[in-house]
Amino acid sequence: MTSLSEFLQVAPVAPDVLAPSLWLIIALPLLGAFICGVFGKMLGRANVHLIACSTVGGAFVLSVLTFWATSSMDLESRRLLSFFVNPFGQDRDYVRYALAYDYGTWFSAGDFRVNFGLMVDHLSGILLLVITGVGFLIHLYSTSYMEHDPAYARFFAYLNLFVAAMLVLVMADNLVLLFVGWEGVGMASYLLIGFWYEDPAKAWAGRKAFVTNRIGDFAFLIATFLMVLTVGAFTRQADERDFTSVGTSSERYASALSDKGPVTFLGLQKMAEALPDGGPGQVNLSTVINAGPLEGYTFGGVMTAALLLFLLGAAGKSAQLPLYVWLPDAMAGPTPVSALIHAATMVTAGVYLFSRMSALLVLSPTAMATVAIIGALTSLLAALIAFAQDDIKKVLAYSTVSQLGIMFMGVGMGIFWAAVLHLVTHAFFKACLFLGAGSVMHGNGDETDIKKLGGLRREMKWTWGTFFVATLAITGIVPLSGFFSKDAIFHGVHHNHLAGLPWVSSVVYYLGLLIAACTAFYMTRVYLLTFEGPRSKEARVAHAHESAWQMTLPLVVLAILSVVSSIYAWPLLKASSDGRPQPVFENFLSPVFSAMNRVVATGKTVELDTSVPAMGDYVFAWLVAVSGGALAGFLYLKFFPSRAGQPVPAFARAVRRAAQNKFYVDELYELVIIRPVKFTAFILFRVVDALLIDTVAVRGTAWVTARVGSALRYVQSGDAQAYAAVMALALVGGVAYALIQVLQ
Amino acid sequence: MVPIPYYLLLAAALFCMGMFGVMVRRNALVVFMCVELMLNAANLTFLAFARMHGDVIGHVSAFFVIAVAASEAAIGLAIVIAVFRSRGSVLVEDLRTMKH
Repeated sequence: MTSLSEFLQVAPVAPDVLAPSLWLIIALPLLGAFICGVFGKMLGRANVHLIACSTVGGAFVLSVLTFWATSSMDLESRRLLSFFVNPFGQDRDYVRYALAYDYGTWFSAGDFRVNFGLMVDHLSGILLLVITGVGFLIHLYSTSYMEHDPAYARFFAYLNLFVAAMLVLVMADNLVLLFVGWEGVGMASYLLIGFWYEDPAKAWAGRKAFVTNRIGDFAFLIATFLMVLTVGAFTRQADERDFTSVGTSSERYASALSDKGPVTFLGLQKMAEALPDGGPGQVNLSTVINAGPLEGYTFGGVMTAALLLFLLGAAGKSAQLPLYVWLPDAMAGPTPVSALIHAATMVTAGVYLFSRMSALLVLSPTAMATVAIIGALTSLLAALIAFAQDDIKKVLAYSTVSQLGIMFMGVGMGIFWAAVLHLVTHAFFKACLFLGAGSVMHGNGDETDIKKLGGLRREMKWTWGTFFVATLAITGIVPLSGFFSKDAIFHGVHHNHLAGLPWVSSVVYYLGLLIAACTAFYMTRVYLLTFEGPRSKEARVAHAHESAWQMTLPLVVLAILSVVSSIYAWPLLKASSDGRPQPVFENFLSPVFSAMNRVVATGKTVELDTSVPAMGDYVFAWLVAVSGGALAGFLYLKFFPSRAGQPVPAFARAVRRAAQNKFYVDELYELVIIRPVKFTAFILFRVVDALLIDTVAVRGTAWVTARVGSALRYVQSGDAQAYAAVMALALVGGVAYALIQVLQ
Repeated sequence: MVPIPYYLLLAAALFCMGMFGVMVRRNALVVFMCVELMLNAANLTFLAFARMHGDVIGHVSAFFVIAVAASEAAIGLAIVIAVFRSRGSVLVEDLRTMKH
């Protein structure tokens, strides 16, 4: 046991050797995208598969090494070797379990500077593993799934491009570089959703996703600029006393800003740590900014505004309430894309962003409450819509929206580690579900309507088994991972309290229980209709066939992962502070969230309860999940089959139709936003563009010039006497003017 | 001695006659002669003012005008002869090649 832990503590590649090579993790998939995209047609199918899979596989190996190196210890001195040249605090921050490398200035303008810095700590490390690991499995799956598609090289190029962009997002050590990845995944997602662009509906879905994401990205940008201004205001106003509590000095902070730029996460974190500690005369959240563009606003107010804008940005990417509509439509893309992008990686970017900026988020209870409530409402709405969807991928898409809402609830109520854990376990079981759905479609002639499937249990054994495990995981059945990660969130949500907003906690908690029961219901429904019962008479093919090993192997791996990852939620370790039992994952992420904990301890904006759920909590949560599943089981196995042929009551049909049509949210958006915008655009086009600019300004100028020219043509006769006459007239005029002047 | 206004009126009359000639006569040679007439009107005003002020600036100006007019007449005559050789006409309306 000791030798194993020592083996795990000594990385095969020393951290200081590895750190300058962090860029390789991003460069490998990017290279793959380039080769597949440019030379794909020449290379042939097998080579494209080889390149696409091996670049992501290589990135996975590098990620494992990097991840390993973040905890690398010197066995003699028991100190961490992984280093973080950290100008904001101590020189080498041994406590942070992070590997970072700064490749120098990316761009700078005036005193604003952005560095190209990469950082891997335990949070981004675990995401690296998920992205490259699950990404590799999905690449492998795609080699079989996209076998018959003529544009497979383009597909793999896009997929590699996506992986590269997502890695940039996760490894960036500042907001601007993160935004590059943020936009990159949006673009790759657009390309992949509209992959089958010959079909207008699919191309439209891609465009919808793109536009919806742009709205969020715009908010993200504004929030970033607000942050830059706030950091500037803070450096001007803060004095030595503000920094004493955070282990740095104002000179050091200022020099670090000029060295690394204002948007580095570490710099923001140091500012967040300095803000709540408000002695007399010190800068704190209620201090008014005294100069600059933000003059007159308090630090706390600006922070809340920026965080709410970040929430809008995250809502775009993570499909939360006002902007969730793109995700279900995104299922138009190939199924591996749905699994990789719209279940496992990109949509979790919002959760990642808030976890990365947790120290800032806990400064503002208002923003936290908004995040939690948005999450809960999204989750509930999506779960209700999922009840009535018949397309297997649509159900899974709404379930993704719903699960993301649960993660946002966790983030909003300050239980960050559980949100990240749920992110990871959700990546496993939802990817497994999506890939399983793809396998079902593959074996049934691309049939997606669950009413026309059924009875696949005997015909697709591997798909059935893995889908069953993943369904149990997402439903929340002991001892699968979904149970523990979801209930860790619910437990935290129940026991954490926001300062000044005590009601949020209980509201969100009870909504959460409802959501858990709903999740169990619709997931059981999908499972039963697809795999149990007799084979539907409307099925496209008489007998489904099991998919190739390239497709079943990822399914099996993901199913195993979605079982074993539950161990991370178990309270097996002891907290270093007080020795109470602590879940493995909380312990593991504690260096990342230590700043957040310090801010909470001094700021008192949120009351964190770090206890672990007791047996009673677990039993209650389990009962809730089982009741939902049991209800679905009763309805779809007993009740509905027995009533087959009888007319359905009118109200039930109305409810079902409303849910099926997504409660007309798209239509509402169409009416309230899209139509007025289109109308305004039409008016602007007709009046301003076509009339004022095109007709009056552009063509009008040419017209006037031409007319004046043709009129003046008659004047230029070449007749010297006519010219002389004009000169004489001018002379007469001049003389007359002179006379008038003289006479007056 | 005749008062200055008379001289000036005479000069103005000469100038107007010259200008009228420039504008209405078709023969280029006559037009040149009319230009001379206008120049002489100017000379007359110069001399009248010189006489009035009792200095020599007006006289000097008149000499300059005569010199310039002589050289201009020489060049103008040369141009008119060249045009006549190439076109067989000295009428002003025919000489509209400047238009192009």
